[in-house]
Amino acid sequence: MRTIGLALTLVLGSTLTGALSAQDVRAQLDGRVSPEVQRAVRGIAADAAARGLPVDPLVQKAIEGAAKGVPADRVIAAVRTLAGRLGEAREAVRAGGVAAPSGDVVEGGADALNAGISPRQVSDLVRVSQPPQDPALTLRVAATLAALGVPPKQALELVQGMISAGRSPSDLLGLPGQVQAGVGRGATPAQAAAGLARAAGGTPPGRIPDWVPPGQRRPRNPHKP
Amino acid sequence: MMASYHPLVKRLLDGEVSLAELPPELQAEGEEALRLVGAADRAPVALSPALEERVMTAVRSHAASPGNRAWRWLNTPREVELRLRVRPWTVWAGALAAAAGLALLLVGRPASGPGPGSEARGGTRDSVFVRFVLYAPGARRVAVAGTFNQWDRSAAPLVPAGTSGVWTTTLALPVGQHQYAFVVDGARWVVDPAAPAVDDGFGRRNSVVAVTAQGAQL
Repeated sequence: MRTIGLALTLVLGSTLTGALSAQDVRAQLDGRVSPEVQRAVRGIAADAAARGLPVDPLVQKAIEGAAKGVPADRVIAAVRTLAGRLGEAREAVRAGGVAAPSGDVVEGGADALNAGISPRQVSDLVRVSQPPQDPALTLRVAATLAALGVPPKQALELVQGMISAGRSPSDLLGLPGQVQAGVGRGATPAQAAAGLARAAGGTPPGRIPDWVPPGQRRPRNPHKP
Repeated sequence: MMASYHPLVKRLLDGEVSLAELPPELQAEGEEALRLVGAADRAPVALSPALEERVMTAVRSHAASPGNRAWRWLNTPREVELRLRVRPWTVWAGALAAAAGLALLLVGRPASGPGPGSEARGGTRDSVFVRFVLYAPGARRVAVAGTFNQWDRSAAPLVPAGTSGVWTTTLALPVGQHQYAFVVDGARWVVDPAAPAVDDGFGRRNSVVAVTAQGAQL
C-alpha cells in the first residue's frame, strides 16, 4: 500500500511539474514571439522538460531571437540546436562527477560546447571546479575565452591553472576582459591567454624560475646539495 | 566633461593610442578632446590672502557651535575600566557552552557546492551597479537589452550625456556573466565595442559583461 502511494505521489508530482512548466513557457512567450515560434518552442520545451533538461534557456533564446527580429524559422532552428546542446552538456557534466546538475551548470556546459569545447573537456572542467568555484561560472568563462579566439585547449588550461593557483571566482570572471584587453594591445587571443597563464602560475618569491633567457644558463640552486 | 568621452578617446588623452588609431567616427571627438586639453591654462593660480582668512573664520565659527561641541562629546572615544569578580569554574563553563554552540552551528549548516541546489550564476546573487556607455552620434534613442532584462528593447534606455553623442545608463546586475547588446533607434542591434563578444546563435554577436563583487569587468 505504501509503495502504491509513493508511486502515485511520484507520478502526480511529475505530471504537475510538467504542467506548471508548460504554463510558465506559455506565459513567458505570450506577446513576445510569433504564434509560429511559440508553438514550436513549446513543443521543444516540453520535450526538453520530459528529458529533465532546463527549459528557461530555450525560452530566453526564443525571446532574444524575436526581439532581434530574426526570422521565425531561424529562431526555431536556434532553439532546437540549443536543446540538443543542453542534452549533450548534461551528459558531459554528469561524466564530470555531478550526478544531478542544476540547470545553470547544464546551460554553462551548452555555452562551452557551442564555443568549440569538447564534451570531454567540459567533464574535465567540471571535475576541477570544486568549491569555492562554481562549475557554471568556470564553464561560461571557458566558453567566452574560446569564443574570443583562444584555442579551446588553451582556454581550459588557463581556467584550470587559475583554479589550481587558488584564484577566486571573481578572478576567473575577469579573464575574458583581460584577454580582450591584450588583443586590443596587439596580441593574438592565444598570446594574451598565454600571458595570463604565466601570470597565474608565476614563480613564487625565492624560487628559481624555470624560464631561462636565450643564451644564458639556468642558475644553480644554492640550497640544493 | 571628461567623463562623457568615449573610452577610446580617454585612452587617446592618456597617450595610450594615437589619433590615427581611432576609428573614423571617433576622430572628431578625439581632435576636440585634444584641442580642449591643449587649450587648458596651466598657469599657477594665486589666491588672495583675504580668502584664506575668510575660510578660516568660517571653519572656526562652525567648530565652536554648541551642536558640534555636543556631537564631539558624544562621539569621542573614552577608556572604560570594567572589573569583574568571577569563580574559575564559571569561566570554563562559559567557554564550553560557547564551543558547543559554535560546533552546533557548523554541523547544522547545509553543505555548499555544485549540484542541484546551486542555482546562482557566479556563486552569489549580490547586485552590482554597472555603467553602460555607447558612442552613437545621431541616434534618437538607445537602450541596452540582454539576459538580465529578457532582451526587452525598452526596459533599460540610455540617456544622452550632453550633446557629444555619448549615451549612458547604470543598471544593477547580479554577480555573474551576462550577454547584452545596444539597441539604437529601436531597431539596430549594436555590440559594445569595448567588451568581448560571442556568437548569439543567430549569426550575430552578443557582448559579454562579467559582474563580480568588486564591479563589472569587460
